[in-house]
Amino acid sequence: MPDNAKVDTSSAAPNAGIRRNMLGVPKRSTGHARIFTSKPLPVDFAGPEHRYIRVDLEIDGISHSEASYEGRIFLNNLNADENTPRTPESGYAGSFHIFGHGGCLGDPGHCDVNEKNREAYDFRPPHPLTPAKKRVTVTNVLRELAKKSSSITVTVVPIVTAANELCNTEDVFRFSNMRFVTYNA
Amino acid sequence: MADEIRIRLGVHNLNDEQIAALRRSFHEMMAISDNRGYQYLAGLHGVPSWYCWHHQQNAQSAQQLQLFLPWHRAYLYNFEMSMRDRVAGVTLSWWDWTLRPPRQNGIPQIFSVAEIGGQVNALAGFQINLPSTNPPIVRPTGRDPGNPAELPTQADIDDALSRTDWGDFTDALENIHDAVHGWVSGDMGVVGTAAFDPIFWSHHAMIDRIWWQWQQRNGNGNIPSSMFDAVLAPFNFTVRDVLSVTALGYTYTAGQAVVPLGGPNAR
Repeated sequence: MPDNAKVDTSSAAPNAGIRRNMLGVPKRSTGHARIFTSKPLPVDFAGPEHRYIRVDLEIDGISHSEASYEGRIFLNNLNADENTPRTPESGYAGSFHIFGHGGCLGDPGHCDVNEKNREAYDFRPPHPLTPAKKRVTVTNVLRELAKKSSSITVTVVPIVTAANELCNTEDVFRFSNMRFVTYNA
Repeated sequence: MADEIRIRLGVHNLNDEQIAALRRSFHEMMAISDNRGYQYLAGLHGVPSWYCWHHQQNAQSAQQLQLFLPWHRAYLYNFEMSMRDRVAGVTLSWWDWTLRPPRQNGIPQIFSVAEIGGQVNALAGFQINLPSTNPPIVRPTGRDPGNPAELPTQADIDDALSRTDWGDFTDALENIHDAVHGWVSGDMGVVGTAAFDPIFWSHHAMIDRIWWQWQQRNGNGNIPSSMFDAVLAPFNFTVRDVLSVTALGYTYTAGQAVVPLGGPNAR
């Protein structure tokens, strides 16, 4: 076969993935994302007899693959939702913000994170969707609540700020664990 | 002029000539389809190249690197150099989203008006042309901004700047950064398409400026030395290379008060 012969590889070429429809502009969600409320967490470490200058709520393993959202944190307010005032009286302790990727903009498997199975000599950067960690300083609200209660619930109300048609806007806040961390003077 | 330290000004402090130069640099970059152009450079952040660093400090990550600030500093530097290839002397400018009416109300006007002098305002949006991504994206960028009162405040910045630990500071600043992306919403609201919105660059210049302010107080603080040699791909910089803005040829100022020393009213 001459070197310049045309070669038809169409039948042998790997499938580059099913093509999807044109992606639209992300928008704010007007729906209600699922609200997370923890079990009561013991906070005897934060009572008035303890000395500390700062308490953070740390949340690990947060998925940031889809929608962007604000996570409003309320302590000891089981009824908190998107309309609850962000005041200390309502248990509002602060917010974290997730800048989401906007869904998978690739072929199947593009957004699969496999960091735990990384080879020892794999020096490539971590997958961009390696889950996030956020910390919100909640010192004053927790200090006041811990005077009256030995356990506290954490409620996270997600407010979706940007989502396209690839994003799940109900099951927004997905994480692996959360904890309070105190810092002493 | 080209060998002087360039000063990045606030968007709210630009004069008409500076706004026109900024707009012209974007307009000309948007007309270039190769690797000098807007489409290519914006595509390094999210779709289709995915080089950006966000949120990667996590126990599940193989490398404990907080490259959010250094990577975006290198990104802005390269973008600004491409701007200056088009319009000599132009610089990036920063969007101070802490300003409130009457000084500013949400998105600055130079980014929001659709047309200027009968020509499309290149700072208002961009025609994304990615027919080969899955899904394809071939359309103009859009925004869906929130209530201006919800934008971060100076108190939020002061809180971040008060954090002397590097990890604590960069996490706090990244959270503010995330909030502004969500506030602008639309394409700016998600990582994949954010950099295609022209306001992205001024938002990140503001973030870079706040890091610079933190460096004025803390130097490089306790940035882990293990980070210094980390490569900020695809740029030819390591973290060490971007720690000093003046070494990169620029600095920031809040404004300028020029005092004339001569003229008819001089005494």
